[in-house]
Amino acid sequence: MNNGAYLGTSGGPRLRGSAPVFTARALFKTYGTGETAVHALRELDLDISAGEFVVLLGPSGSGKSTLLNILGGLDAPTSGRATWRDHELTGATEADLTRYRREHVGFVFQFYNLIPSLTVRENVELVAEIASDPMSPDEALSLVGLSHRTAHFPSQLSGGEQQRVAVARAIVKRPDALLCDEPTGALDVETGKLVLAAIERANREVGSTVIVITHNTAIAGMADRVLRLGAGRIVGEEVNASKLSPEDLQW
Amino acid sequence: MVKVLDRKVWRDLSAMKGQVLTIAMLLASAITVFVGAIGTYMSLLESRDRYYQDSRFADLWAEVERAPRSLLGPLSEISGIASVEPRVVKDVRIDWPASDLSISGRIVSIGRRSETALNKVTILRGSAIDPSKQNEVLINAAFAESWGIEPNDGIAVILNGRLQTFRVAGLAQSPEYVYGARPGSPLPDDRTFAVLWGGEEAVANAFDMEGAFNSLSFSVAPGSSLPRIVADLDRLLEPFGGRGAYDRTEQPSNRFLSDELAEQRTLALAVPVVFFAVSIFLLNAVLGRLVQAQREQIASLKALGYPSIPIGLHYLKFVGVICAAASVVGIVLGAFYTDGMLAAYRPFFRFPELAAHVPYWVPAVGIALSAAAAGSGALNSVRRVLRLRPADAMRSAVPGHTAKVIGVRLNARAKMMVRGLVGRPIRTLVTILSLALAVPMLVLGLFWWDALAYMIEVQFDRIERADAIVSLTDARPERAVYELAGIPGVLMAEGQRVVEARLRAGPRTYRLGLTGLLRDAELRLPRSEDLAPIDIPKSGILLTTELANRLGVMPGSLLAIDLLEGRRTSATIQVSGLVDEVLGYNAYMDIDELNHLMRQTGLVSQVSLKVDPRQTSSIWPELSKRPRIAGTTIKSVLLQIFDEKVRSIIIIAAVVLTTFGLIIAVGVVYNAARIGLQERAWELASLRVMGFTRREVSNILIGDLAVQAMAALPIGLLSAQGIVSLLLGLRENESFRIPAVISAGTFATSALVVIGAAVASGLLIRWRVDRLDLVAVLKTRE
Repeated sequence: MNNGAYLGTSGGPRLRGSAPVFTARALFKTYGTGETAVHALRELDLDISAGEFVVLLGPSGSGKSTLLNILGGLDAPTSGRATWRDHELTGATEADLTRYRREHVGFVFQFYNLIPSLTVRENVELVAEIASDPMSPDEALSLVGLSHRTAHFPSQLSGGEQQRVAVARAIVKRPDALLCDEPTGALDVETGKLVLAAIERANREVGSTVIVITHNTAIAGMADRVLRLGAGRIVGEEVNASKLSPEDLQW
Repeated sequence: MVKVLDRKVWRDLSAMKGQVLTIAMLLASAITVFVGAIGTYMSLLESRDRYYQDSRFADLWAEVERAPRSLLGPLSEISGIASVEPRVVKDVRIDWPASDLSISGRIVSIGRRSETALNKVTILRGSAIDPSKQNEVLINAAFAESWGIEPNDGIAVILNGRLQTFRVAGLAQSPEYVYGARPGSPLPDDRTFAVLWGGEEAVANAFDMEGAFNSLSFSVAPGSSLPRIVADLDRLLEPFGGRGAYDRTEQPSNRFLSDELAEQRTLALAVPVVFFAVSIFLLNAVLGRLVQAQREQIASLKALGYPSIPIGLHYLKFVGVICAAASVVGIVLGAFYTDGMLAAYRPFFRFPELAAHVPYWVPAVGIALSAAAAGSGALNSVRRVLRLRPADAMRSAVPGHTAKVIGVRLNARAKMMVRGLVGRPIRTLVTILSLALAVPMLVLGLFWWDALAYMIEVQFDRIERADAIVSLTDARPERAVYELAGIPGVLMAEGQRVVEARLRAGPRTYRLGLTGLLRDAELRLPRSEDLAPIDIPKSGILLTTELANRLGVMPGSLLAIDLLEGRRTSATIQVSGLVDEVLGYNAYMDIDELNHLMRQTGLVSQVSLKVDPRQTSSIWPELSKRPRIAGTTIKSVLLQIFDEKVRSIIIIAAVVLTTFGLIIAVGVVYNAARIGLQERAWELASLRVMGFTRREVSNILIGDLAVQAMAALPIGLLSAQGIVSLLLGLRENESFRIPAVISAGTFATSALVVIGAAVASGLLIRWRVDRLDLVAVLKTRE
């Protein structure tokens, strides 16, 4: 990707010279009603282009996860519009969103979400079986450096290993978008770096557009672009002139 | 102050309301059946005992041809005899033009000392008779009610061949005729059998019995030896044509009543107890699994520092609320059930008062057992979780590499399912067993219809092939058969000889009408267990299997027979075979052989008739006009009585059991599905996030349920047959026995209900999966 080729505009972060894959316009998300209503997103605009590595930073309650869930087809905004390429994500049926997730999106969550009764390889196979053009599960596992533990069950792995299985499971379908919600939140520094390295390889070798949510500012160094959220809006944007490799991150 | 954990009890109850409701209904059903059925049985026993006591039901009886009152002195001197009451008891016929069928009756004399008398006659309506009046009688309420007879109505009675009209002073009831069956008839028929009580003088005069008696009843001093008294009585009465004294166990009404109560023990005790036992096993399993599904929460509480006891108490409270609610419902419904059953019994058991007498221990035991089952189910699960270190409890168990099904390459979802089943074998087995036991819960209610249909077919179609059995007033030459055969419309007539006899095998005795059949008889066909007709042996005796068991004899055994009529001869005869019957304890032998034992030839005492069904309206009245006919048992009438009385009792119980079986079956299946979902909600939500469709995700759970249900059905069907056979094997009864017959239809219905419940639960799972909150699931770690 063209590092440093992005400029912010007053209308919101925008990719110059390339059509965005994700767009969001005037997204509102409100939980509850009346005085107890919580506004997770307030008129949020966003564009993310293909192959971009975006880090969303922000304190708890800033709306990061809500935004990611809407972009991943897990949640619907209260108002506004979100699209992925020519897919309308707002107003889509549950079946359309399921197909969208199945065909295009890989998720990584803070708590791994592996199926305990399946081995490492089987957890990856689970997704490969329903993907149209998957890589082989072993290839995905070697991308995350876990070729040697494919026959273990999740409960026999460390947290970092489990999270790398989750990454392998997310990338085995060669996803167009890899959405990661606090992928290192439960991990120590060194383990976290291994997971981030796996995500970075997916971005580089599979070409997935990556969005990583974190409250760990150090991770921002490996992004093409860093978006800061506060109170349901994007309050800052930085474009990294040069990305750091995960091993060089410090926190 | 309400503790937080207590608030959690209510929140959990409300969050799991579907499961809580079905579990509470399961438990309420179990308690209803337990309380209702045992309450019914206890009420019957208590009503009988109170009635026997209040009415001074006699301890011993003896019949003679005719004995002078002067014999009363020596009789009352027999040691152990507390009181003696002489009577004249005679069979009569009622001239009742409204009836096509002949009506037989029995008249019993009442002495003047009625206050102290044994077998006190209770006047239900009208007034007592004036013993000085010759033309007043009391009539049994059952007969009066079936014909709408009121006090002061007239009734024409043929006594000793003379027609006499009496005024009905009152409707009455006696402990000797609680079960008012005509002698020789297997079922009480209120419409064709009447009991009359008349003044001593009137009855004695009519039968030329002044200063004499032909029937005695006795009360005995507590602690006396009945066999010795019987022996003493028999010795004293023998010269007067004594037919052998007998105690309550051989008194016809009481014997019938005892048999009925024994049968009710099956219906009212064994079935509900098994039903209840299975229910509380299911309750234990369901609650155990429900609590097990909360293992994360339990572990968190423990990790927070809660000691084990408050955690256990918390779940006990959860279970306690369910039990308390279910108990209230169960007791209330149980009381309704008891009342309903007693209402069905009232026409059958003629007690002056048949009211609910349910001891407190019945509901107490029912509730205690179910609470114990529920509590132990919950506590076992809590304890299993607490035994783990919190960290282990919050971590998933390592499943075994078990899904290598030979020759089949399973996809990852199938592996999830298989490992879910195989990886926790005990839970899977308990679930399969629970689902399996849902089948007998239904079969226990439904099979009664099959059993009834089978009983009717076997007894009234295969064994008893005659349309009517005519009892003669006394044994007569075979000519009597030809006379009856000559009635227009009678297609076939067969003579039989029935002699009152006492069968003896060691200390065991049984008194019955021993039936002599023609060796080529066609109208009564004793059959073996597989329903093949059994030939009447030239010598030797055939016994029904139940009678042989009661006497403790087998084919080949020798049996002593005391004939209680005529010359009262005795003989020893070999048991040549066993026959299977539904109604009655019977014994058969060759008619010539029986006549030979009686030192007679060619006599018959009853005639079986096959008739043209189109001509019954002329045949039955013709029979009732003929002399020397004591009574006629008509098969269609017997069937009708059977239908009205036996069926009504069985069917109430069957409907109740079927309904509750259904509730329990659905509750078990629903909970199995629901808990399966609860345990895997997080996993399934993860699959949904990955892009698996709702159908794909619910199919994992539905497949899981389907596999368990499929494994459960054959086990369930086998266990249903086993449980029913076991239950009916427990019974010991004389009047009729309920065969362990379960039709393919009942099996299919039960299986279909379980499958239907599984399909409905599957749809419900689908509905739930559609509503899984994906975002919320991802935010938490289980």
